Amino acid sequence: MDNVGLKNSSGKKFVNARVHNVLVKTAQYLVLTVVAVFLAFPFFLLVMRSFMSQIDIDAARIIPTKFTLDNYKKIFAENNYFLYIFNTLKVVGFNMIVVPLSASLCAYSFARLNWKGRELVFSCVLATIMIPGTVLQIPLYSLFNDFHWLGNLKSLTIPAMFGGGAINIFLLRQFLRGIPKELDEAATIDGANIFKRYLLLIPLCSPIIVYIMVGTFSSGWSDFFGPLVYLSGSKENYTLAVVIYKDSLSGELASASLKMAAGAFMAFFPAVLFILYQRKLVDGIMVGAVKG
Amino acid sequence: MQTIANETKKLIAKYKKIKNFKDVLWGLLFASPVIIGVAVFTFYPALESLYYSFTDYDMFNEPSFRQFDNYVVMFTLDPDFWVVWKNTLLYAGISIPLNLLLGFFLAQAANFKVKGITVYRTLFYLPVIIPSVASGILFADMFLVGPSGIFNNILEAIHLPALTWFSDERTSLATFIFMNVWNVGGGMIIWLSCFKNIPVTLYEAAELDGANAWHKLVSITIPMSTPIIFYNLITGIIGSLQVNSSLIVGGVDGRGVGDSLYFVAIKIYNEAFGGSYNMGYACAYAWVMFLFIALLTFIVFKKSKWVFYGEEG
Repeated sequence: MDNVGLKNSSGKKFVNARVHNVLVKTAQYLVLTVVAVFLAFPFFLLVMRSFMSQIDIDAARIIPTKFTLDNYKKIFAENNYFLYIFNTLKVVGFNMIVVPLSASLCAYSFARLNWKGRELVFSCVLATIMIPGTVLQIPLYSLFNDFHWLGNLKSLTIPAMFGGGAINIFLLRQFLRGIPKELDEAATIDGANIFKRYLLLIPLCSPIIVYIMVGTFSSGWSDFFGPLVYLSGSKENYTLAVVIYKDSLSGELASASLKMAAGAFMAFFPAVLFILYQRKLVDGIMVGAVKG
Repeated sequence: MQTIANETKKLIAKYKKIKNFKDVLWGLLFASPVIIGVAVFTFYPALESLYYSFTDYDMFNEPSFRQFDNYVVMFTLDPDFWVVWKNTLLYAGISIPLNLLLGFFLAQAANFKVKGITVYRTLFYLPVIIPSVASGILFADMFLVGPSGIFNNILEAIHLPALTWFSDERTSLATFIFMNVWNVGGGMIIWLSCFKNIPVTLYEAAELDGANAWHKLVSITIPMSTPIIFYNLITGIIGSLQVNSSLIVGGVDGRGVGDSLYFVAIKIYNEAFGGSYNMGYACAYAWVMFLFIALLTFIVFKKSKWVFYGEEG
């Protein structure tokens, strides 16, 4: 009898625990779904409204009664958005190559070469993170004016060649320091010179380099304030961010559906990239956050 | 023998000197992009901007030195000064703790041990990826007041009163802060990375001692997260005091209705690039902002005894 009772109560407990577990899981899914719907709703709307005709926009619909591609056709055919995409791609593509290249050269020096004054120079580089961009924008405007870079994409690309950002150098340096020194030493014994040793280490940094490239893409793609200030006035060189901003102010993109089409198109690329690389990216952001 | 040893020592010293010299040369060569970059595109402009702030400068004529005139005008005569600082401080004072708190709760949810959690995490982070111009025009459109405004239509559909959003100076700053709630995924990621680094053994030990969820939160999760709170505080101060995204939602000059979204960075932009080319005056504003940011960060660093860096720290 005793034995059976024990079995029964433990069985009940098991069932209770399972019910409890199911309840907790359901509650968790409920919370997650509500939050996800709330956070994703505006962007769902952005996409939906980009396929709407003016009637649906005026009626404040959430889902179009009839899907139309007219808005997209219009921004490409009449507003010439291919040009601005091309401009943006030029800047972003160039920077995606030069930023990791330049940052890795500098990081290699700070991580692997022993030279007097290294720590001092590195601290000076890191200190620049604290200087707000707002302080620099006016003198840079005047400097770019002297260089004849205003209204030219050079103002967005050439500065990126010089170091590629203190944070990127910092991340690469941290990563390089995690690679065993024995590797370089063995290469030195084999007669590898400084460049060969650099070229040996760089492929090993590929996770962080991919992270830096993706970061360069998304920051360059969405950069709004820099191009707004430095490209002002030369519409033929505008990047996507600036042209969408200017066109929606000036009324070139008068209808909400046109604005949404431009916005959705612009958001599409970083979103796809993020979804493709989300695992690596989230890890990379985490590395950056913890180390930073 | 002695002389030979001496000679060798000298040779070694000489060799070391040459090697040191060569090392410095190679080191500088590899680091030269950033050394040139930081000098030309950061330190020199920063000093130049300090100099401009004491001058009258319009880009076309040489700057003429005016001592403290810009600063005197800013603090005593310019009615915008207090408006932009009041708005900026209100924005920073609310949005920094709000994002920290919401990011924490979101990270708690994103840390549930359920199937498909990575899909939810991706959805939570997706709004952060959307370029600010795209989300700016989107929210400006959704918050429209009138028959075609989506948010008000939704509120009416669930029998709640319609709101004035960006159309009223009393609600537009709150709307602007609300809009930034969609970027909470950025804070979430940082909190998640922090939770990941807290040793599970700490929680197990606490459970053995009979600690409940609240105890674990207060005596393990929060103390172990102080470096992240500290990091968020610093980046939050630097970022939010420079807020300029009201350019996109705040009308043609980015000032918002009744100057309700007029922030320091917008004032600087308008003075310098809004057509009047008051470069010197804008630089004075920028330097006041810089010094204020530096002061705040300094205070946070000084008062950082509450930050727990692990046993050895």
